[in-house]
Amino acid sequence: MLTRKNLITYLIALAIILTLNFFLPRMMPGDPLMAIYGDEALVQMSPELRAELIQRFDLDKSLGQQFITYWINLFRGDLGYSYSFNAPVLEVIFAHLPYTLLLGGLGLIFSTMFGILLGIESGWRRDGKFDKGMLPGMVGLSGFPDFFLGILLLLLFAVNLRILPLFGAENAYSGLTGFDRIIDCLKHLILPLIALILARLTGGYLLTRNTMISVLKEPYMLLARAKGLEPHTVKYKHAGRNSMLPVLTSTGIWMGFMISGVLFIEVIFAYPGVGLLTYNALTFRDYPVLQGMLLISALCVLVINFIIDLLYPRLDPRVSYAR
Amino acid sequence: MHVDPKRELTKSKGGRTGLVLLLIMVLIAIFAPLIAPIDPLEQTVNSFQPPSWEHPLGTNHAGQDIWSQLVYGARTSLLVGLLVALFSTILAALIGTSSALIGGVYDRVVMRIVDAFIIIPLIILLILLSVYISPNLSTGAVIGIEIVIAFVLASMSIYMIKRLGWLGMVIIGLMVVLLVISQNLLTGTGGVIIILSLLCWQGGARTLRSQTLSLKERPHIEAALGFGASKWYIIRRHIIPDLGTLLTADFIFCVRRAVFLQAGLAFLGIGNPNIVSWGSMISDARQWIFLDVWLWWLIPAGVALSLTIVAITLIGSALEPALDPRLRGELSAQNFELQS
Repeated sequence: MLTRKNLITYLIALAIILTLNFFLPRMMPGDPLMAIYGDEALVQMSPELRAELIQRFDLDKSLGQQFITYWINLFRGDLGYSYSFNAPVLEVIFAHLPYTLLLGGLGLIFSTMFGILLGIESGWRRDGKFDKGMLPGMVGLSGFPDFFLGILLLLLFAVNLRILPLFGAENAYSGLTGFDRIIDCLKHLILPLIALILARLTGGYLLTRNTMISVLKEPYMLLARAKGLEPHTVKYKHAGRNSMLPVLTSTGIWMGFMISGVLFIEVIFAYPGVGLLTYNALTFRDYPVLQGMLLISALCVLVINFIIDLLYPRLDPRVSYAR
Repeated sequence: MHVDPKRELTKSKGGRTGLVLLLIMVLIAIFAPLIAPIDPLEQTVNSFQPPSWEHPLGTNHAGQDIWSQLVYGARTSLLVGLLVALFSTILAALIGTSSALIGGVYDRVVMRIVDAFIIIPLIILLILLSVYISPNLSTGAVIGIEIVIAFVLASMSIYMIKRLGWLGMVIIGLMVVLLVISQNLLTGTGGVIIILSLLCWQGGARTLRSQTLSLKERPHIEAALGFGASKWYIIRRHIIPDLGTLLTADFIFCVRRAVFLQAGLAFLGIGNPNIVSWGSMISDARQWIFLDVWLWWLIPAGVALSLTIVAITLIGSALEPALDPRLRGELSAQNFELQS
């Protein structure tokens, strides 16, 4: 439900991030331009660019004046200038965003799907053979950090078996077009995708399994069986369908955290999404990009949560009665 | 009504496995100088040596002994995990219970801030903060932290020994030994510990608040009130024991998240490079993935890290019924995603 409470929360979160972004570099000792851009960038910067940046962000004025200019620039969509990419920050981030959306989106869909399916099977016969093997396996899997899972896959398939490419999103300068290019992109996508699915599987699985177990105790399950329905129909149509809601909610929430969730995997596979961009910005000390990334990733969470708030009463009508 | 964490832990197979695994890790960390006599940071000209009697796991690109790094890495992970969990659980407890007990405007304001912190993407904020905040602590700050730790451990030990008996004594004893021997790491890891603790408390604060709220309304407390129990008696006999189990579970999931995030940050190259850590071992070994060294460099570091996290997960999941007794025999899902 979209309530005033949630709206206030979103505004506070945004205020915290904007305050951090504004004050962190300016609290550092010395010239604000140096704190914002780092000393390495400053040495290489041409005097014209330096003068232009000072003028654009009012860095020679008082803190209050800087704050006002900061806000005006934000509303214009000007998040600053990336020195290492020689382009505006927003442009740099948007150039990398599609890869993250592709990888994260597919990972989200598949991990949720597999989680739900395995959870239904496991919960249907609780303590059965499948369940007894699956549950400890899943708990064990959840202990593997995503970056280690990624490296293991990389070692096995790309370094030793050499059947899949090592890094990137496609072969540069290969001149592939059309269908061949799509195949090439898919080949590059498959390892990061598997790593992401494995890393995210446990949550959805456990959630579905739990709901499944409690749904099976509901009176309508008894009725469905008493009517003489096929076990298959009971399992998927009656129990399975009703066990999906909590997983869908948690998937929706994770969707907002997609950018930070795929960061490590993008770094491992050098997949050129915004996670890799954040990592590169960290190594190049490109502070404006880091600040822009924090703002954009938080905005993603806020927008997705906002949409979930609006959609949720449609998915589960009970919430609009239970005020 | 009150769940006994000791019974939950020692009764379940997973809980026992987790405890044994974690105990092995703690013992390795404590007896590191005996298990690995070579200094993990000592650089030699003999780089990329294959495993031998002298270097059981060979040497890395800087000629450092990998076995020593692996063994000493346990110290870093466990120290950061323990301290972050201590600090953030205390923050969570203070904020959560005060919010529930005071209520009114205070409660509303605090909970909105807690929710806002839940929404902010943690790992990106950590990266940004690490750029501006130095990973090293000054001597004064280290002493300050040590005083806080001593105070917290002292008050914790009274409660733990009373509730858990011999197990509590062993746990407190191991914690103290671990903290004393890893003291020299505090300067180098302090920055990461403080940033992580300031960013890991929000989930715990939420659960502790709602638990305190619902405890206030439970029938057995009303019954006790009806029999003429004083407020202080109820806090002591009912609220603290019930929160105690929740605090334990929250603490364990904090350790898990902190161990994961510390390794993750070290993997990204954030933090003091002179601190031996499994995360930075994985990150260094990744540069040499085409040599055979990954077999005795990358894999052991990753396995050690994963085993530690699995052990903590098993302990945490054995304590799940303590979080919600209706779940007895089930595992709730929310704690199993390594939040990043």
